[in-house]
Amino acid sequence: MRRSLTHWARAAAVGAVGLVMVAACSGNSGGGGDSQAGGPVTLKINFWGDFGLDELKTKYEDANPNVKISLNTGEYNAQHEDLQKKLVAGSGAPDIAAVDEGFVVQFRGQADKFVNLLDKGAGTYEQKYLPWKWKQTLTPDGKAQIGLGTDVGGLAMCYRTDLFAAAGLPTARDQVSALWPTWDRFIEVGQQYTARSGKKFIDAGTNVFNPVLGQQPVGFYDESEALKMDGGPKVAFDVAARTIAADLSANLTAFSPEWNSGFVKGNFAVLACPAWMQGHIKNTAPGTSGKWDVAAIPGGGGNWGGSFLTIPKQGRNVDEAYRFVEWLIQPEQQIEIFKKVGNLPSQPALYQDPAIRDFTNPFFSDAPVGQIFSRTAENLTPQYLGRRNGPTRVAVENVLNRLATGNLKGKPDQAWTEAVKEAEKAAKS
Amino acid sequence: MSTTRAAPETPRPGRDSGATASRRDRPYEPGPWRTRLHRFDMRYVPYLLIAPFFLLFAVFGLFPIVFNGVVALRHWRLDDPTLTGWAGLENFRRLFTDDDFFNALSNTFGIFLLSTVPQLLLALVVASLLNRKLRAQTWFRVGVLLPYITPVTASTLIFSVVFARDTGIANWALSLLGIGETAPIDWRSAKWSSWIAIATMVNWKWIGYNALLYLAAMQSIPRDVYEAAAVDGAGPWRQLWRITVPMIRPVVIFTVVLSTIGGLQLFTEPMLFDANPALGLGGDDGQWQTVAQLIYKVGWRDLNLGYAAAMSWALFLVILLVAAINALITNRLGGGRK
Repeated sequence: MRRSLTHWARAAAVGAVGLVMVAACSGNSGGGGDSQAGGPVTLKINFWGDFGLDELKTKYEDANPNVKISLNTGEYNAQHEDLQKKLVAGSGAPDIAAVDEGFVVQFRGQADKFVNLLDKGAGTYEQKYLPWKWKQTLTPDGKAQIGLGTDVGGLAMCYRTDLFAAAGLPTARDQVSALWPTWDRFIEVGQQYTARSGKKFIDAGTNVFNPVLGQQPVGFYDESEALKMDGGPKVAFDVAARTIAADLSANLTAFSPEWNSGFVKGNFAVLACPAWMQGHIKNTAPGTSGKWDVAAIPGGGGNWGGSFLTIPKQGRNVDEAYRFVEWLIQPEQQIEIFKKVGNLPSQPALYQDPAIRDFTNPFFSDAPVGQIFSRTAENLTPQYLGRRNGPTRVAVENVLNRLATGNLKGKPDQAWTEAVKEAEKAAKS
Repeated sequence: MSTTRAAPETPRPGRDSGATASRRDRPYEPGPWRTRLHRFDMRYVPYLLIAPFFLLFAVFGLFPIVFNGVVALRHWRLDDPTLTGWAGLENFRRLFTDDDFFNALSNTFGIFLLSTVPQLLLALVVASLLNRKLRAQTWFRVGVLLPYITPVTASTLIFSVVFARDTGIANWALSLLGIGETAPIDWRSAKWSSWIAIATMVNWKWIGYNALLYLAAMQSIPRDVYEAAAVDGAGPWRQLWRITVPMIRPVVIFTVVLSTIGGLQLFTEPMLFDANPALGLGGDDGQWQTVAQLIYKVGWRDLNLGYAAAMSWALFLVILLVAAINALITNRLGGGRK
């Protein structure tokens, strides 16, 4: 009896101590939760690829000791889909979410889930932005601005001078630009290249499709959100299908590991280059430094990609987040990002800034990338990208990949029918 | 309380008489409180001890299944919060006309057959080899389990390099045999090649695991059965099929059911085999998109949760059906009478 009593007493005592400890712990964490007044704040920022923030993050943290920045890069489509999920779920979104122009209409339609940056005083920046860039994140009634533009994707063509030389093609950027005023001429040059070198000319059919589509007045959707496959998409699809049929493509799925190793191994000689692609090439194949150069893209200008920084409403540090976003879009930071990863700012005044105007990129044979990309950005007619632009693009890109490798190989007519079918499915699903 | 206190102490004839007798021999009568405790201990503690599993199962197993069923009967789109009404059987009706679903189903079965059948047969062979007297026996036994320990994401990433078109080891090895020297196999482009690639990953991971299960069962077969068979002139192959397999039948059924469930839920391998895994497409034409992958895509990329839930339920029923059929067939094959 005695033994058993002490035993139970002991058990009870252990239990009580445990309870006290649990209570103590939860008490602690509860006390440290509220951190509005100058307490430590962690800002989570989600994006894809490389936004050139690694060094800027440290710089900002040094200047603002109470702020920690957490950078979360991911896959392009996945980041946007994840943001959509979190918006609906009502929690879990990052403090700052990057949104690409390809998805921006979808999110602009849910402006009530984002902080209206006009309330935070973002209106003062309107005059600084390319007008179309400012409007892309502005709700149609003009009352809410959900994002501030970071970069624009003015188009150019990156090419490998060493591979061009080996195939007996000119290597100087003006001469190269003169080689391909149109996409037809581009395909002819490609055929010369493959005939002489025995290697593939371009990386993937989709990386012809996207820039050509970017040059069309109307993309997948018109402004009433109707799918218009017979306009721009048809033109772009035909060019891409012809490059594939001419056997110019290395058939590497864009942004796949094999595509990345293709940069290192020189599996292709040219690549459509929106400004942001510079950073990707540099990060992926640092060993090819000095072997690249930048020429004009066939068919003139055009835009492909370009991003915005948005602040979802559900975040806990909305004010700190806006302070950071505002700091990031200042000329000083924008120029640093451009120099680091090539993302061209969306504030035209900066194109006159000597830091950008005179910037030459040693990785790309000292090409005057500042001038090249600002010129394309200034002369841009922007395209309306519908709500379902992202999924539709993936669907059509897949058909192109199948045309290159799979069961549609060598059947461009059938491929177009298939592309229309898949696009319609993506528009509805 | 006081009224019931005495009752248990009165010895009941016929019940537990031995224990009561021994209690009588003790120097003092145990207090009624303690007896109650003892009774509680004997009667209810076992239930208390097994309760955590059932509680957890109810919360994390049963509830999601039931709730999933409810969701399957509703419209539920994350990108259109207004669509929240009852859909009735609409989602299930849509399943029957959905090409994507049947494509995914046939892919799942294709990969399942390509993985489960060779996997279990090879596991049998490996197990019967391990069951012999070998040097460094433990080393080999642990060795076959190593793939099972490897995280499936890690091994799949390695395999997707192995099956790369231009630079992969698989194509290199085939080229040594003179296959695909000029035009290397694009493993991801066709159904058959992508199925083989994925089935290889699954087999690699699970052969050792199943082999060890078989081995454990084989250890319990008496040696003299084999000796008698050998005297009667049965070779190793005949011994395997006529003695070993029938005698470890319960384990075979167990592995068949387990690999049916695993095979039909296949997700990680096909997901990571994709050039762009985040899309969940299983190839640019869904060549190797499995049902689990399609559920992920419909639910989390197209944000149509109602339809995805219906698919999950359909998959659940398909698995039940196939597992039952498999167990039945295996039972027959092994000479069972049930």
